[in-house]
Formats: sequence, structure tokens, C-alpha cells
Amino acid sequence: MIVGDLTDEALARLLSGPGLRLRTGPLVTRISSPLADIARGIALLYRDHEVQPAEGFADFHVRIDRPAGLRRWLKPQVQFQFDGWPPFYPLPGDQGFPILEWGLNWCVSTSCHQYLIVHAAVVERGGRALILPAPPGSGKSTLCAGLIHRGWRLLSDELTLLDPSSGQAVPLPRPVSLKNASIEVIHRFAPEAVLSPTVHDTLKGSVAHLKPPVESVNRALEPARPRWIVMPRYQAGVEPRLSRLPKGRAFMQLVDSAFNYHLHGAQGFELIARTIDACDCHEFVYGDLEQAATLFAGLAAEA
Amino acid sequence: MLRELEDGLVVRNAMTGSTHLLEPLAAEVLGLLLSAEEGMTAAELAARIGDEAELQGWTTSMEELLLEFKRLGLAGPVD
Repeated sequence: MIVGDLTDEALARLLSGPGLRLRTGPLVTRISSPLADIARGIALLYRDHEVQPAEGFADFHVRIDRPAGLRRWLKPQVQFQFDGWPPFYPLPGDQGFPILEWGLNWCVSTSCHQYLIVHAAVVERGGRALILPAPPGSGKSTLCAGLIHRGWRLLSDELTLLDPSSGQAVPLPRPVSLKNASIEVIHRFAPEAVLSPTVHDTLKGSVAHLKPPVESVNRALEPARPRWIVMPRYQAGVEPRLSRLPKGRAFMQLVDSAFNYHLHGAQGFELIARTIDACDCHEFVYGDLEQAATLFAGLAAEA
Repeated sequence: MLRELEDGLVVRNAMTGSTHLLEPLAAEVLGLLLSAEEGMTAAELAARIGDEAELQGWTTSMEELLLEFKRLGLAGPVD
């Protein structure tokens, strides 16, 4: 069963009752919330994701609710809870869905140490993964959102999970987080894209989430072998430019971008070394998403 | 753990868990230190790497490099 098979009432009952056991790639999360925003967001953006039977194992147990006290009624807030514990301060009441997404990222990056977790988008084409590590504000998620509407499969827009035993990138297809100007860019670039309503004045500015393509969700258990590491940077008005990144620098970029490199010890070093050996490494500056997509289509065709 | 790459040597210090990218000169010096049966002085390192006319300058460079290795825990003084 997928989320889209549930009526709005059935979804709301699950969320406000035993919780919705939602599969995202290799992980199962039990989500509970009495809030209508959360039900609407899940119905819209997780429509193709698998729902597991109510009873059973979940990797994470999360809840989004109003905090107790007067704030419940006066300028309501929302709070993310993990195993009954709130790791973050509450946020304004209209930020329920964004806090769920940020909270789920936090769950993965602080708990899934069976993987080396790199702060990077990752997409796939022809069985080969393109890893896009970059700091916030570099245009990584925008580029990722563009590529998945031009023939690439979404593995993740935020967290690249590298499996130490196979060396492969493990998919975690979830909504793509878009911020500020990139929301309108994707609206224009892919009019068919399904986006959540924009939430303004968050810590990250205006935020909207993009529904992952159904094919990416359906192939969520299909890993991909890393083939390219590209560090993107958006710069208004420039022609797209791909320049070779020396492998030592690429190695250090992955080390610096990994959330849990230190926990993996020698195995983490070996895994990054294998990944670097298998990949062409580049820096990439772009100012136009269509030109960027064309360039990456060419890169995939050459390989 | 070491991995030689086109732009230098990536080294993981098992004692600290830290990983560093050493540029080619630093990589060469670390290689000399690792292959030496006993410790090497800055002057000895300079003699192996630089040419005689510039020995003094190289020795200073080696001293700075050894201090940096000490800070990173990659090498230290021997008795």
C-alpha cells in the first residue's frame, strides 16, 4: 500500500492514532501528528511512498505537535519530537511540514551510522551516481531538482548514504527542499513539478518542498555506483563551466562534508578512497538550470 | 593510512582520527620520515630534498614543516 491509497480521513486517523509507518528507501519511520498541515503535506509529497502495517519495527519514532502551555492557543508553535524528546526549539505554527523534513534529516544524519553520510545531493542515470557535495546556498538542491526533471533519478537532495560494504550510494528519495528564489526557478523549469505551499520567514527563508518523481520512489531499493563527484556553485549570469577538481581536494571535500566520517575510522578512509578512485571529480559553476541539465546529459552520455 | 593522489598525499592519523591532504613537498618529507630507521633532523631532510646552494632556506622550511607535523600528530621528536 502507498500513501496515495489512503483516504484523507484514513491518513489523518493513522497520524493521530498509532502513527504512519512510512518507508523511505531502506528506512521506516513512524510519524504521528494531530496536525492537519502534516497530513496534507504527507498526502501531497509522499503520495507514492510505501505505507507499512501499523505494527512493526520502525527506525525512527517521530511526532509533530503543538507544545504544551499557553502557546498552544496564542501564536501557536510546532515541535518535533524524536522518541518523545524534542531535539529542537519549537517553531512558528505554520512550519510543521518543514520541521518534519528537517527533523527527518536530523534523524538520519545522527543515527544511520551503518552508512557514511555525506552532506550532498545524489542523482543517478544509467546506474551511475552523480554526487553533488556543497555547502548551503550553493544551488545544490536547485540543481538536483532540475536534474530529476531531465532524466536523472533522485536518490537524495541532502544526504548521500554510502554503503561501506558495497561502496554504492543508497537511495533515500524524499521531498526536495527548495529555498527562496529557487522555488520560482523550479516552477518555471518544470511546470509539472508538484510543490508544497511556500512557508515564509523560516530560519532558512522561504521554503517549499518538491515531491520526488514516482520512478525515484519506486526504485528506492536500487543503489547506484558513484561515478562523478561535482561541487556545484550557482552564480547568476555565468555560462556553465565544468573544471577538473584534483582528487586530493575531492577526497578532503568528502571528508569535510561527511557527518560521521570520524565514526567509521579506517573503513571510512578506505570507502572515500574507493569512491574517489571510481569517480571523475569536477567543480561546476552555473547560472542557468537548462544549460546545466544539458551539460550533465552530455557528461552521462560520454561515460 | 596513506593514499597518493595527483595533488598530494592523503594521510589518516590513526592516533587522532584526523585526515590531511599533504602537498607534494610535505608528502615527500613524511615519506622520508616513515622510511627512516631513526629520526631525521631538519638539516638532514633539507639535504635529501633541496640543492646545496639553498640548504639554509630548505632547513628553515623543514623546521616549519616538522613543527606542523608535530601539531598534526604526524611526527614528533625522538630521544
